[in-house]
Amino acid sequence: MVSCNQDFLDQKPTDELSELDVFQDPTLIESYINGVYGSVRHPFVGSNGVMKGEFVDEAHDMWYGFLEFNNSLQTSDDLQGWRYEDWASNYRSIRKCNVFFEKVDQGKFNDVLIDGKTLKDRLTGEAHFLRAFLYTQLVNLYGGVPIIKTTYGLTDDFKIARNTYSDCIKFIVEECDLAAGLLPLDNTGGNYGRATKGAALALKSQVLIYAASELHNNNPKFSGFANPALLGYTSGTAQERWTAAKNATKAVMDLNLYSLYKPEPATGAEATQNFIDLFIADRTTEDIYVKFFIPKEGGTSFWDDNYGNNLALVSGPNGFHLWGQNAPSGNAVDAYEMTDGSKFSWANPAQAALPYENRDPRFYSSVFYEGVKWRPRPPDVAIMDPVGVIQVGTWETWDNATNSMVEVPGLDTRNSPIEGFNGGYMGYYLRKFIDPSVDGQFSGMKVPWRYFRYTEILLNYAEACIELGQDAEARTYINMIRKRAAMPVITESGAALRDRYRQERRIELYMEDKRFYDVRRWVLGPETYIDLTAVDVRYKLNPDNTTATVPTITPKVHQTRKWDDKSYFFPIMRDEMNKNDMLVQNPGY
Amino acid sequence: MKKTNSFSCYLQNNKRRYKLLALKLTLVSFLLFTLQVSASVNSQAKLFDLTLQNVSVKEVFKTIETQSEFQFFYNDELSDVNRLVSVDLKNQKVEEILTQLFDKTRVTYKVLDNNLIVITPTGLMAQNQKVSGTITDGISGEPLPGVNVSLEGTTLGTITDVSGKYTLDVPSTSAVLLFSFVGYNTERVEIAGRTVVDFNLIPDIKNLKEVVVIGYGTSTKATVTGSISTLEGNELQSVPTINVTNSLAGKLPGLVVVNRSGEPGYDGATLQIRGSNTLGDNSPLVVVDGISNRSLSGINSVDIESITILKDASAAIYGAQAANGVILVTTKRGKEGTPKISFSLNQGWSTPTVLPKMADAATYAQMVNEVNLYRNRPAKYSPDEIQKYKDGSDPWGYPNTDWFSETYKTLSKQNNLSFTLSGGTEKLKYFFSAGYKYQDGNYKKSATNYSQADFRSNIDGKISKNIKLNIDLSGRQENRNYPTRSANTIFGSAMKSYPTMPAYWPNGLPGPDIERGENPVVMATSDTGYDKDIRYIMESNIKLDVTIPWVKGLSVTGNASLDKSLQNQKLWETPWTLYSWDRQTYDENNIPVLVAGLRGLPEPRLRQSMADGHRTTLNGLLNYERSFDAVHNFKFLAGVERIKGSSMNFWASRRYYMSTVSQELFAGGDLEKDNNGSSGTSARLNYFGRVNYNYKQKYMAEFVWRYDGSYIFPADSRFGFFPGVSLGWRASEEDFWKENLSAINYFKVRGSWGQTGNDRIEPYQYLSSYGFGHSYIFNQNVENKSLDELRIPNENVTWEVANQTNIGFDALLLNDKLSFSFDYFYNLRTNILWWRNASVPATTGLELPRENIGEVLNKGFEFDLGYSNKTGDFSYNVSVNGAFQKNEIKFWDETPGVPEYQQSTGRPMNANLFYQAIGIFKDQAAVDAYPHWDNARPGDIIFEDVNKDELIDARDQVRSEKTDMPTFTGGLNINLSYKNFYTTILFQGAMGAVQFHYSNSGLFGNYIQEDADGRWTPDNINASKPRAWNFTEEYWMTGYNANNTYWLRSSDYLRLKNLEIGYNVPSTFNSKLGIKALKVYFSGTNLLTFDNLENYDPEMNNFEGYPPLKVFNLGFSLTF
Repeated sequence: MVSCNQDFLDQKPTDELSELDVFQDPTLIESYINGVYGSVRHPFVGSNGVMKGEFVDEAHDMWYGFLEFNNSLQTSDDLQGWRYEDWASNYRSIRKCNVFFEKVDQGKFNDVLIDGKTLKDRLTGEAHFLRAFLYTQLVNLYGGVPIIKTTYGLTDDFKIARNTYSDCIKFIVEECDLAAGLLPLDNTGGNYGRATKGAALALKSQVLIYAASELHNNNPKFSGFANPALLGYTSGTAQERWTAAKNATKAVMDLNLYSLYKPEPATGAEATQNFIDLFIADRTTEDIYVKFFIPKEGGTSFWDDNYGNNLALVSGPNGFHLWGQNAPSGNAVDAYEMTDGSKFSWANPAQAALPYENRDPRFYSSVFYEGVKWRPRPPDVAIMDPVGVIQVGTWETWDNATNSMVEVPGLDTRNSPIEGFNGGYMGYYLRKFIDPSVDGQFSGMKVPWRYFRYTEILLNYAEACIELGQDAEARTYINMIRKRAAMPVITESGAALRDRYRQERRIELYMEDKRFYDVRRWVLGPETYIDLTAVDVRYKLNPDNTTATVPTITPKVHQTRKWDDKSYFFPIMRDEMNKNDMLVQNPGY
Repeated sequence: MKKTNSFSCYLQNNKRRYKLLALKLTLVSFLLFTLQVSASVNSQAKLFDLTLQNVSVKEVFKTIETQSEFQFFYNDELSDVNRLVSVDLKNQKVEEILTQLFDKTRVTYKVLDNNLIVITPTGLMAQNQKVSGTITDGISGEPLPGVNVSLEGTTLGTITDVSGKYTLDVPSTSAVLLFSFVGYNTERVEIAGRTVVDFNLIPDIKNLKEVVVIGYGTSTKATVTGSISTLEGNELQSVPTINVTNSLAGKLPGLVVVNRSGEPGYDGATLQIRGSNTLGDNSPLVVVDGISNRSLSGINSVDIESITILKDASAAIYGAQAANGVILVTTKRGKEGTPKISFSLNQGWSTPTVLPKMADAATYAQMVNEVNLYRNRPAKYSPDEIQKYKDGSDPWGYPNTDWFSETYKTLSKQNNLSFTLSGGTEKLKYFFSAGYKYQDGNYKKSATNYSQADFRSNIDGKISKNIKLNIDLSGRQENRNYPTRSANTIFGSAMKSYPTMPAYWPNGLPGPDIERGENPVVMATSDTGYDKDIRYIMESNIKLDVTIPWVKGLSVTGNASLDKSLQNQKLWETPWTLYSWDRQTYDENNIPVLVAGLRGLPEPRLRQSMADGHRTTLNGLLNYERSFDAVHNFKFLAGVERIKGSSMNFWASRRYYMSTVSQELFAGGDLEKDNNGSSGTSARLNYFGRVNYNYKQKYMAEFVWRYDGSYIFPADSRFGFFPGVSLGWRASEEDFWKENLSAINYFKVRGSWGQTGNDRIEPYQYLSSYGFGHSYIFNQNVENKSLDELRIPNENVTWEVANQTNIGFDALLLNDKLSFSFDYFYNLRTNILWWRNASVPATTGLELPRENIGEVLNKGFEFDLGYSNKTGDFSYNVSVNGAFQKNEIKFWDETPGVPEYQQSTGRPMNANLFYQAIGIFKDQAAVDAYPHWDNARPGDIIFEDVNKDELIDARDQVRSEKTDMPTFTGGLNINLSYKNFYTTILFQGAMGAVQFHYSNSGLFGNYIQEDADGRWTPDNINASKPRAWNFTEEYWMTGYNANNTYWLRSSDYLRLKNLEIGYNVPSTFNSKLGIKALKVYFSGTNLLTFDNLENYDPEMNNFEGYPPLKVFNLGFSLTF
């Protein structure tokens, strides 16, 4: 019984799998790649519901506000609330890809073709795509970063220098090309949602568009920086880079797999509805690469990547027992054109009196504003509002008993009897991406997140054309998008066309995590990080002591913002600099 | 592998030992279970060789005493012990020797439990008056058999019977009786004409012959050489706590006891021996009746005979799990005698020691206005509204709620019943107990409560002259009931909830929440469903002890133990209803119309889980004990132990219940049903031993060792050798001492050194392992498994090593009245298993394994000073103990380039970085005059510009020297007794720890009154407290972690931890009812606290959760 047999001590973990087992079994290798998908940091889940739009001029959060970030106060010790992709988490995921490349040949794969590819090819393609995706996120933030393609062991030398920006872009493009060669055109059945050839080419398009942009081309703002090659190109021409970007974008279009979703609405109202549906539907003709969710759990475990899309909870108005985050800013709302294609202006008395009339149909799909009808209120609130109309205003009423004016706050304001602390400051709430059939306080949504949709590709293509002087070609595609939005065509050329393009991109891709990078690569920091505005909505007391039925809406500055050019790039954290003295810090930190 | 094999087969190579082992194992193998060791020494079976010529009987006694655990008790004058005798005996038991010694004399003897031998005369002179009475234990009130009763100045005497009764014929009732008993102070009592003289004997705390439980055996106080503290079980019973761990505070020098929470079922104290020694797990090894890793928390305190803590290298016999010290718990066993039945009942009332005092509605409204003012936002409340909150004129519209008093109850009941039955004959002894405890939660309409039912049965059988069999069985059922929201959520929500919101509306319906339905008065009740957790623990041990008749002094012991635990948990969550009012709608009677809202979750759901744990321990011991020439005393122990454990668990859940009628899984909806499960195993194999030698009990040496193998490490580094050496010198036995220093009647110097191990890390760090992580969704709604690399392997992972050095002394002065012990220790923990993530760059992407990289020094001292005396009927003993320990990281993975004042190296473990708060900016000029955080404004906390770079950034953080564990802990124990009254008082305190004070205050929640009083406002610019703030918006308020020293509070405290006042009802009253002893008492715990914290208990962990409790208790115990 008590024996000398020490094999007794050779226990094996029963809740873990050994590396050997994992990399021999193709289905386990596939599960491993699923883990890499899961480790890619996501725009809003796992971020306390805060979307990246709050770190630029698109939206505001009454809890966090991100005053420091939006005043360029981030340092190498403190990113002031940034909670998305970053140095450490991306390199952790990159290692996962590198492990895969080192081990995949142990796998006992067969040659069965699914969607035209073997499993081994498909998984290898996915790993290249994911590694490219992760490096793209890093390069967007930091400029050139160390390119690491192998895995470290415990006793290795860990110090490594940054590669140049152009090396990184070259590497990412190679990865995209490898992925495109290995991935199927389309995934069917249970594989739907995995990276495809289109996803790899779309990524390549985005990378090359960003790389061709002003920020990375001999930008004089960083002329004093000793290592300019870390931040952008120091040789070659913008022309050749825009050409490469255009070609890469065209490659996606030439797949002929994707098309604009419902491109020809009959009315503005139809365009509005289409644009709501586009972001709620499970699948559309635009989808190139998306992340799916299922409402597995609701109610309490909101921060877990696994528990569905909780944007309905975090972004919905407080008067529905929702949390009111990601509230659209006045700046964003004011950017929506009038239906005739002219700019909206508070200086125009007619427009200021009825600011929500005759706006771009996409405005109505993207933003909740005073008086718009939405879903029914929860039962305990319904007595106060049986219809379910957004109330961000305040009613001035006359109290005959006390002979004085009484202010009655709207249900979705900060003075609301319903969770007023969750009320937004902006006078707006986010509508885009929110499925009205879901009661966010209890359930998550299954609404997918679209990393790449075809409209972005068309916009990329138009941008490359503009930068290459091919204005007519550019207008064609911009106007396709405007037509889908039931907006009049544009006719400008040259710099004016570039401005119209940038405006179009801002509206079309609102809150899709693009503008944060767009304003940086376009070097528009000082123009973007300006005063953040909100609206004050008031049903005024008439002279006869009745209350006005039409609100008076007044814009106001909510938050003062500043820009410092250091914010075009992120700092590498001080700790990391200390651990690896071969790293060079970005300018300004 | 080779190396370990050759060692482990050492036992086999020694043929003789192998045979013995085989014999024992064969016997045990009938028993299905495993092997283990217990702590009693079988002295009555011990064989003596005595060759003495012309010595007094007394000398014979002394010789026997030196060679064994026996102690003789006799009266010189009356027991004829100065008679000269010669003995030449071989291989004789003590009873055989004594029978020969007293053959044909008028003296008899009795061998009692605890190896006590009482010598009394049989033939007494003719007497003329009878005195009788009962002698009881002054603390427990239980009768004491075997007490020597004699008449002062005569040879007259007797001993008490099993019921503690005596009868003695005396010549005159004006004489004086002497009561003496081992382990108790000898007492002198005047008969003063009485015919019944009852007496309570007070235990003598300095009994040198007292048996001390050590690893796999026992020793005596006089000969023990390690640093060991012991506690008698009866000392635990005066503390009215449900969880026995909370009774240990202030009693054992060197044991740091911190009671973090009072939540029923989760109120176990954090125990650490000599503070923190490692960056990892610092919990000591708990050994109950010889079986490792049993729980101390659930043991019924009436079952505990003694608790011993091994603080130094004497723990090395427990090898790889001993580095944090060992707590040895021994339960009671039966004693020879008529059945003794005891029953005790404790009825207690508990209340949280302290609850935060929150701002009232008017103050809160004012502070919210200030927050808005500082952010240039309009005021939320008008002066008129603030006035209404203040005057309470409108309870519907302007309530003023004290959420803590709405949520928490003033007094909650707890009770504790126990029953014991013990007794036996020489052949069969038994101890049986049964207990029941109940503890209500401290909420109004509480859904929280804990109850426990337990039993223990310890049976000792003597199968034959040389074979003994012990069968121990104990079990308990623990029931934990909670609401579906945690104690932390309820507490946090009581802190957060606006005082401007009603807990209940004036019509009695519950008021609204801040969010998520979190109204604490409802969350604390069963309106949200329930969380029911039932655990069954069954522990068993069978021990066979064989004295080998043909090898003198040799015995073998085999133990087989099976411990089993089962847990069933059922979490049934339902939506609950809260009522809100829009402040506008009234009914026809002008009463506000409330609207019911379903809150919390949309529909009922159930999650049910089960867990099963299983551990077998098998061990075999070889004991050899001999004395040579009456002066050389040897003890030898060798053993082997094998432990195997396994566990498994699973859970399943369903949602969308159509009705709440059936709260079972089958009745749930099919959508989103889910389940999961896992398992694990563990295995250990050890060889250990001890060699013990003393010369005349004057010079003592001990060597203990363990060769320990653990499944946690890879084959090559799986086994470790852990030695411990200790030496002792009883200087007071030397002639020079006796001649010159006789005032110090006992003095022993001790020293020890050894190495022990710590393996408390996640197992399998040497394997390259993958585990399933979150699923990822493809094809719109299909969950796909994902696999993640759990860590990269460290193939060299092995033990943490504790290098422990201890030096100390024990002294008794003034005829044992004064005792003093002192220990100094120097613990250097090396090979600490920690992650190298401070120096490995993030670019590597590595999930690091633990590596043997850290080094921590922990040093300190302990003392224990006691004095006991008696004047007339008043007796007292007072003792003070204290322990100081401070640790320092000598080496670990420090990030390069970190300035000295931020480095962890050279500072205590777990010390955090903080900005240094040096005041409050009184005005804008003050802000402008000193480096400050961007956006700092008047009323903000000033952070010191530590590195003088005119910039406040992370480089201005300084690593603290203090942590949340105290560096000094101590206790003052006072026991007083006067006639039948007694009292026990324990003051306990701790110093050197800090906690932080915070609240989620602002627009999202209420302020603590302390933060509101005297805060900075534009009218009070010279304030020492910051302005009103909003949640985490301020740079000096991070919400969940203190980032600056303003929020750190010293948690030094002194508290009246325990008080008991009792009365032993005289036997004259009891005996008519057939009662041997009856005691009634009041007791209490945490009755008074002296500290600097207004809102929190100093033992809590950063002021979160369920406060520790103050308990008032009434009880009685009855013995038949």
